[in-house]
Amino acid sequence: MEHFRLFVLPFWLGAIFLLVTLLYKYISWFIGLAPDERRLFFRSLFSRSVFRSVGEVIRESLFHRKIWRTNKLLGYMHTTFALGWFLLIMVGWIETLVYFKGENVPLYVDIFFSYYVHPIFEHNFNFSLIKDALLLLLLIGVCLALFKRIRSRAMGMKRTTKHTWGDRVALSALWLIFPARLLAESMTSAVIWKFGGVVWALGEEHHLILPGIGCGSFLTNTTGEFLARVLPPDILQAGELPAWWFYSITLCAFFVALPFSRYMHIFTEIPLIFLRNAGLKSGEKVSSYDQFQTHACSRCGICIDPCQLQRDAGIVGVQSVYFLRDRRSGKLTDQVADNCLMCGRCEQACPVGIEQNKLRLNSRRERAVPVGENRYGYINGIDRSEGTGKVGYFAGCMTLLTPKILRAMERIFEASGEQVWWADKEGGVCCGRPLKLSGEIDAARRMMEYNTELFRKHGITVLVTSCPICLRVFREDYALEGIEVLHHSEYIQRLIVSGKLSPRFGGENFAYHDPCELGRGCGIYDAPREVIRSIGVLSEAKENREKALCCGASVANIAINDEGQRRIGERVAEEMVATGASAAVTACPLCKKSIARSNLIPVYDLAEVVANALPD
Amino acid sequence: MSKKVIIIGGGVAGMQAAVTLEELGIRSVIIEKEDGLGGKLRRWDRLFPTMTPAEEVLDELKDRVQRSGVEVMTSCEVSEIGCEGRMVTLKDGSSLESDAVVVASGFDLFPAELKEEYGYKIYDNVFTTVDLERMFRNGGVRTVDGRIPKTVAFLHCVGSRDEKVNQRHCSRVCCITGVKQAIEIKQEHPDTEVYSFYMDMRMFGPGYEELYRQAQQEFNIHFVRGRISEASQTIDHRIQIKAEDTLIGLPLKMTVDMLVLIVGMKAGESNLRWSRCQGVDLYPSSFVKPKNLFLGGVESDSKHIFYAGTVTAPKNIGESIDEGIAAAHRVAQRLKEE
Repeated sequence: MEHFRLFVLPFWLGAIFLLVTLLYKYISWFIGLAPDERRLFFRSLFSRSVFRSVGEVIRESLFHRKIWRTNKLLGYMHTTFALGWFLLIMVGWIETLVYFKGENVPLYVDIFFSYYVHPIFEHNFNFSLIKDALLLLLLIGVCLALFKRIRSRAMGMKRTTKHTWGDRVALSALWLIFPARLLAESMTSAVIWKFGGVVWALGEEHHLILPGIGCGSFLTNTTGEFLARVLPPDILQAGELPAWWFYSITLCAFFVALPFSRYMHIFTEIPLIFLRNAGLKSGEKVSSYDQFQTHACSRCGICIDPCQLQRDAGIVGVQSVYFLRDRRSGKLTDQVADNCLMCGRCEQACPVGIEQNKLRLNSRRERAVPVGENRYGYINGIDRSEGTGKVGYFAGCMTLLTPKILRAMERIFEASGEQVWWADKEGGVCCGRPLKLSGEIDAARRMMEYNTELFRKHGITVLVTSCPICLRVFREDYALEGIEVLHHSEYIQRLIVSGKLSPRFGGENFAYHDPCELGRGCGIYDAPREVIRSIGVLSEAKENREKALCCGASVANIAINDEGQRRIGERVAEEMVATGASAAVTACPLCKKSIARSNLIPVYDLAEVVANALPD
Repeated sequence: MSKKVIIIGGGVAGMQAAVTLEELGIRSVIIEKEDGLGGKLRRWDRLFPTMTPAEEVLDELKDRVQRSGVEVMTSCEVSEIGCEGRMVTLKDGSSLESDAVVVASGFDLFPAELKEEYGYKIYDNVFTTVDLERMFRNGGVRTVDGRIPKTVAFLHCVGSRDEKVNQRHCSRVCCITGVKQAIEIKQEHPDTEVYSFYMDMRMFGPGYEELYRQAQQEFNIHFVRGRISEASQTIDHRIQIKAEDTLIGLPLKMTVDMLVLIVGMKAGESNLRWSRCQGVDLYPSSFVKPKNLFLGGVESDSKHIFYAGTVTAPKNIGESIDEGIAAAHRVAQRLKEE
């Protein structure tokens, strides 16, 4: 206890509290994992995924590579806080080892090193220089953080997160830590500069420091000299210890607030990366792994700008950052859980890679009101299908409401000479995805089982649909082994490549809109583009492919009003007009309807433009 | 020098406004984009609720215009109103000076193609009320292959009170139009069954409710409360419709020979151009917003711009003609003050 001083107490207690809380949380979440999930994790420890995880921790938790891609200043700010602070602690630790020649000293000596030892840069390896440089970097980071409060636009963010009370406490403490450290180290250096002293614990060597030299390096030495010159001697002597108290208290405040604030992400991202690389995923039901995901959200707010609900419809407080916050604090409301297009644009932008849609879905499932037993009794035994063929066509409800698409598909099938089994031309049972998206998974499953049985009964080997909503559920949730599921864009592309279909090249300029469920949902970007290129000129919207806009009519949003949908759709239509193309082409009946309603540009489904280009 | 007023639009409201202005001793010029006067009335056969031939009204108005010596410029379109009504610019680039402008540019018909689920211009036997008027004028209602329809379904509120196509307003006159046409079909083909799908029947004018009652009691037209959700074409080119009868709470499906979409009134596309002029504001529906709904229904916030007819809201023919008179008197008073 040779080194114990009373002022280390706040830091010490705060650090212990933090450690115990983190361990308690992580261990209990880990125990809450399903046995096979735990097995996956343990198995991954002896595989290459560990190296991948370590690399990812360095890249993302320290360097924040993905944030650099959003904006350089924003990246710099996050890197200084994470990497800067980490290095400051590491350098301090090595320095302590060197100075105490490996002697076992308590952790607080590392943290408050300059108080105990008065390192001067004439001697030894110049740790002080490195530490001062890192401190300066961190102080610049704090300035940038302050600047971001005032002008977030300059840092690539039009909107930033509205913080909770716990976040504000932690945030204030974090911002105070580094100026407090600067003040404490400067005060010590000022006292040494004024009165002289010793370099306290260099093994047997004790170096005398004469007045007028001070300690620290370019930063703390200079500020120390400045303080020594301006402050009266008695204040200097009386002020040193309170400055260290202040530093210790800010650290304590941050550590205690951390588990209840956004800064929980600092540590949680690490186990998340390891578990994710071990193959864990969030699923249909709320699970313990979800905890790692929700707590790894740093509330950086990068998800807010891409959200079209905010940007075009003025709907705030429902974005992923707020959804995760509310879910974490147990205050999730239907308004927040349900008001989401699930377009996936935020997931695409999230620097932590949190599975936003899956989490929202399993929250919805938890909140869903179970439906009556007999509600879907009517589907038993219905079979309104017609025709025979190895190729089955499932129009889906939305295609039946946009008969031009259905007409076009009829022409395409006829022109290519394919024998087709029509699953639902005269009406059928829903694919189940809208129910699934509203959280009613058990009801959705009944539809899925019915349709699966129907497909099997008619012995098809290829299932074509022109609705990406149906496509996604067929691919993700149906057990259709032996039946190849294709979107009509892929199917038409095949027909063209194999020569069964030869549309004429007309040269018209088409702007293509990527439907969410087709693009981000199923990863189909090229097939529709190839088809368009075979009949005309393709124009791209400013935000396309993975970053494409949502049309606003998504069946996933069960809370939005019509006006909001209209405004989002109109924005997409404006983007289509801005390409200079003469018409917009999309590959989803819902997108077609919602872009068309603004009346700004003619909108066609891919099948329509292909059918129109077929020779009579 | 005598004052000159420009009337934009030579429909019923515009014609009457011009005639009244001349009666008050003010020169007026009608600028009409089509090749003749009459507006939408030119396409109509008979008028509700009296079944008066449209020509009777149209010819009388044209006569008045001719007698009063109003200058008429047809096939001529105004592109913009300038200087708060002291000038208009034409599509050909020339401009005309004026002392005041009466905007009587009317409405557009809702394009039924936007409700793709009803199959207009996709299926052979889906028509609009406008198509039906043409058939009445050209010798009778027939399906595409020339047969007399055995069953006809009317669907009310296509492009009215429908958020999904940005048409929240009620177009008012389509309810009674649907009733009139249903009766006309029955008069022409008494054996044809006529169904009419509605959400509300709004019989606001004199004699309208009486006609509606007649349609039910005398002509045995079936009114079903519920909207058609979708339509599809059968192999023999008939139309299969799905709807819900909300009074008995059951879904229904039927096949008809002909589906008639009762299209609503959409704000005139030119309203956006007028709104570029100071003093002209639009409602969210894009209809022009008059200065005061109670005390200034034909006035704008600009001293020299006045409104008449359906440019401000859906109206019937009588109301539009009356507004022509009202607007002319307001113009005359304003010009006298100056």
